[in-house]
Amino acid sequence: MRIGIAGTGFMGSTHAAAWSATEASIEGFVAKTTDLAAPIARQFGATVYSNYTEMLNDIDVIDICTPTYLHHEMVLEAAAAGKHIICEKPLARTVKQGQEMIAACNKAGVQLIVAHVVRFFPEYVLARHQVKSGEIGNPAVLRLTRGTFQPKKTEDNWFVDFEKSGGMMLDLMIHDLDYARWVAGEVETVYAKKISSEHAGAHGDHGLAILRHRSGAISHVEGSWAYPPPLFRTRFEIAGSNGWLQFDSANTAAIRLHHRNAGDENIPDVPLPSSPLNEDPYTTQIKAFYHSLLNNEPAPVSGTDGLASLQLALAAIESAENSRPVTIEELPEVSQEKGQ
Amino acid sequence: MKIGILSFAHLHAEAYIQNLRAIEGVELMGIADEDDERGKHYAAIFQTKLYDSYQELLDDGADGVIVCSENSKHRPLVELAAAHGVHVLCEKPLATTLEDAQAILDACTEAGIILMTAFPMRFSAPIVQFKQQLDNGMLGHVYCLNTTNQGRMPIHERSWFVDPILAGGGAVMDHTVHLADIMCWCLNSEVGEIYAQTNHILHADMVEVETGGLLMLTFENGVFASIDCSWNKPFNYPTWGGLTIELISERGLTIIDAFSQNLNQYRQDQPDHVWAYWGSDANQAMIEEFISAVREQRKPLVTGEDGYRALEITLAAYESAANNKPCQLKQRSV
Repeated sequence: MRIGIAGTGFMGSTHAAAWSATEASIEGFVAKTTDLAAPIARQFGATVYSNYTEMLNDIDVIDICTPTYLHHEMVLEAAAAGKHIICEKPLARTVKQGQEMIAACNKAGVQLIVAHVVRFFPEYVLARHQVKSGEIGNPAVLRLTRGTFQPKKTEDNWFVDFEKSGGMMLDLMIHDLDYARWVAGEVETVYAKKISSEHAGAHGDHGLAILRHRSGAISHVEGSWAYPPPLFRTRFEIAGSNGWLQFDSANTAAIRLHHRNAGDENIPDVPLPSSPLNEDPYTTQIKAFYHSLLNNEPAPVSGTDGLASLQLALAAIESAENSRPVTIEELPEVSQEKGQ
Repeated sequence: MKIGILSFAHLHAEAYIQNLRAIEGVELMGIADEDDERGKHYAAIFQTKLYDSYQELLDDGADGVIVCSENSKHRPLVELAAAHGVHVLCEKPLATTLEDAQAILDACTEAGIILMTAFPMRFSAPIVQFKQQLDNGMLGHVYCLNTTNQGRMPIHERSWFVDPILAGGGAVMDHTVHLADIMCWCLNSEVGEIYAQTNHILHADMVEVETGGLLMLTFENGVFASIDCSWNKPFNYPTWGGLTIELISERGLTIIDAFSQNLNQYRQDQPDHVWAYWGSDANQAMIEEFISAVREQRKPLVTGEDGYRALEITLAAYESAANNKPCQLKQRSV
């Protein structure tokens, strides 16, 4: 299986490292400039492509790790070229874009897999497994928090450009909106509030959302880019009719460093969560995607999953902007997938 | 100073009676309870006098009383105390309807007695310190709070706690008032709008009231805050529940866990691990404030109006949940 990776930022390089743990071969990289792609291509013994179309010709699977606003056109082009697609979350910038992407992939008969990596973090996997296996009964009240600092980039910080990234809720909070849906099922209403605390004039760097699921479960979702660096904290609680699950990354850190002279140079540009594991969750994720493609199995995280999460994040933004709860209309793609 | 307790319906009476005894110059007169059996039971446990009626206790020279009846039965006892010119500390929530709460306020105003609402979290050392940090500017401008006041479903503590009439509701009625009150106090602002979602999945087979609740309060100063008031803690959780606040402000993140001051205790001969609390006793400080207010004939730190306001917010949460949309708080009538 020949893999092409589009985008060589943090996610592109993280995925590349993950692909190298599979039998697939990383064929090439494409980035905004060949200069950006050259070092990583050298590292993985792959080709630097100067343009996306050209790379698509030489590969079987495209792994799209570019900024959110580019996902739509890149997926459409890859589908038209008959390539299977792995797309970084969020799937797209708008629901309409997401629907077009799914339709294009269905039409072309290619897989569309969305990299919602939280679904591969062992603590999140285990918690869902406990819920699905009935350990705590029916989920009733979920609390999900993901808080860190705003991604820094020396140039072209598309994260902070609301039009390009959708801001904190679409880029960060979407992880937990996706997880809430994965655990407690489809969502009926979303009500959210957001503020720009640290970053005046931004479209919100901290937000809270309350979801009501069709099952009757309710979820409290918190997302933040307003924490001081290097803090990255994730937490969840799932209360069910027969028990309660709780996780807090602050309490489960297996190694804690409190060193002298640990200054700003130790703060990464983009926070990545980490807990010592024999296999990092990004690798687990890519391996799962690789095996599903290899064996022609259903996508572990489908385009529809990506679309449904996108819809929730956009609803949260809309609710926060209009101070009104937003009703989630079940999209035909979602009904269809459930019907299968 | 002579202080009595009217009704032992509420669990907290068990703490308050000991708090009263710990205060110098306070004479614990005894208790009165409309439930004879309950009255005898607690009078025996706490070795105190059982009066034949509320009236009799109030007539026996009481300076103040603590009202610990069921939530919906606060009004007649407060009115009775007011009629006797006896000062009142009333268990929270002040009442279960605004009509009753208003009647309580009116009766106390007319009688010229002190009315305090029992909001012990106002006297919680971590919360008091948080309030000081806010007031002295250490935390900078406040943007948002994510708060929880969760607990075990309290049916085993007192069965009426889950009775829709006597308690006035479930988790929302039980837990919302504490954080609503603390936040109004800490932020020096009133709640303008509230949104709530509630459900009935936890303990669905044991109770008819709501057991899960998520609320979002928008204050008049623009700050928003969520409250998780759910009865989500399992029966074998190490303690009754807890109260947490995570604040996003100009200075960053501030995390408060008001009940974190515990020892972890494991016993070979017991299956569940226990938290042994070593923090300061907020109830004691609250009862002392009531006594001081009576002594000094002044307004207590927590008033009846504060109790009314917290109830108003709570009832608005129910309205929002019923209508599935945000509820605007009406102009306060007090």
